[in-house]
Amino acid sequence: MDALAYGVTRRVLLPVTSVLALLLVWEAAVRALDLAPFVLPAPSRVAQAAVRTADVLPAHVATTLAEAVLGLLLGAVAGTLLALGVVLRPRVGDALEPLVLLTQTVPTVVLAPLLILWAGFGLLPKVLLVALTVFFPVFVSATSAMRSADTDLLDVVAGLGGHARDQLVIVRLPGAVTGAVAGLRVAATYTVGAAVVAEYLAGQSGLGVFIQRSRKAYAVDQILVGVIAVALLTALLVGAVGLIERAATPWRPRAASTPASSRHLTSEIP
Amino acid sequence: MTTFPGTDRHDRRGGVLAEADRLTVGVRGGTGPTILDDVALSVRAGEFVAVVGPSGCGKSTLLRAMAGLLPPSLVASGGARIDVATGGGRRDVAWMPQRDGLLPWRRAWSNALLGARIAGRDVAASEVRAAELFERFGLAGAERRWPHELSGGMRRRLALLRTVLADRRLLLLDEPFSGLDALTRRRMNSWLSDLDLVGTSTRGSAVVLVTHDVDEAVLLADRVLVMSGPPGRVVDSVATRKGGDGQARRRLLELLGV
Repeated sequence: MDALAYGVTRRVLLPVTSVLALLLVWEAAVRALDLAPFVLPAPSRVAQAAVRTADVLPAHVATTLAEAVLGLLLGAVAGTLLALGVVLRPRVGDALEPLVLLTQTVPTVVLAPLLILWAGFGLLPKVLLVALTVFFPVFVSATSAMRSADTDLLDVVAGLGGHARDQLVIVRLPGAVTGAVAGLRVAATYTVGAAVVAEYLAGQSGLGVFIQRSRKAYAVDQILVGVIAVALLTALLVGAVGLIERAATPWRPRAASTPASSRHLTSEIP
Repeated sequence: MTTFPGTDRHDRRGGVLAEADRLTVGVRGGTGPTILDDVALSVRAGEFVAVVGPSGCGKSTLLRAMAGLLPPSLVASGGARIDVATGGGRRDVAWMPQRDGLLPWRRAWSNALLGARIAGRDVAASEVRAAELFERFGLAGAERRWPHELSGGMRRRLALLRTVLADRRLLLLDEPFSGLDALTRRRMNSWLSDLDLVGTSTRGSAVVLVTHDVDEAVLLADRVLVMSGPPGRVVDSVATRKGGDGQARRRLLELLGV
């Protein structure tokens, strides 16, 4: 078997097979146990529900996606800026850091009712909630990346006659970009979930609204359609942030993807 | 910090570029061991000085003290004196660390020009010089590569190129070839001895090379300072003839007790 065919087997064929197997077992179990559709609908029924709601679903998806993306941007910018401020002005950092940590001991979704009370029923409270959720991981990883800037590199700059300002521009800031983007990838996984939770509480459009309406109609198949849409949307955002990370750090060796799989290849093919 | 009168403006070949006297360095607070004990040294323009000694004898600390890079945990005692030539209000030195210290997010070309940029050299002139040196350093064609795409030997040469391009009068090299395999190291040394590093600056420069390799020291340096320790002391100074001096080599090995 040549390497390409082997790679396709491992990366496409096997995962698809396991998902199909799960769906088959699910379908068979629902039919054999004769479960009511409002308890657990069969995958075929969920598929039918997806087709049935295909005309209303795109608008809900668009709303949630807009909230998630806007919140992600806002949170990333705010987190990076505050990280810069804290590192450049250590006194400000000392004063602010406990406050920032304190706000994060409150799970952000708990703040959703307050945000809705203050910012209304539209897009804004959802964007704010997503931004709050994103802010913290970005802030933390950007701050620590700047602080832990490789002392070797800082010494090189000083050893060539550079001052603290040179060290900041040449070593610390570029390091911060790497840190902030790494935090962004962690944050991206929470964004859609945060938007949906805010939509549960109030709103006219969005996947959260769609799921709530389906629940009130006992349309479990539609709820599952919404859940799958949330999962796909999250995967999409995480993938997009991954692309941004690659674009922002072109200097990184692409060790994560290719050599890992080729290692498998060499170790497993005799 | 004293400035040598004249070193800033005149090209005084043979002038003293660095001088240390009663240099004693210990851990701040005086609790730990003494790292350097009463070290004296003087480096003149046109000299290639090697510092050899066993691991942990304070060679790197001596170099860091000259570069103004003592870590915050270390402090020079009250009577210590280090004078290093200055230029434009800064120490006229360029320091190269044991590991290459290349910025991973800059391509080879940009890494090479880092020293020139920090020193505030004319960009166009530095680029012309960089192109010329990439050729001489055997790095031509690697300008657009990222550091992680370069071999160990190439990375060290690039780090050295960066140090040279800063166009400082005193080059401080801290075991520039440590960690390379023996063959690459030998090749780098013969290349470096042909390079005439002291002559690369037009303003009369000097090189201080820290190493624990006696052959490297004999091959490259005009004068070898032998250190013992800890605590680090300079025990002797041996003059060598350029290009392999068997007598000096034997004397050095004897001093080091090998």
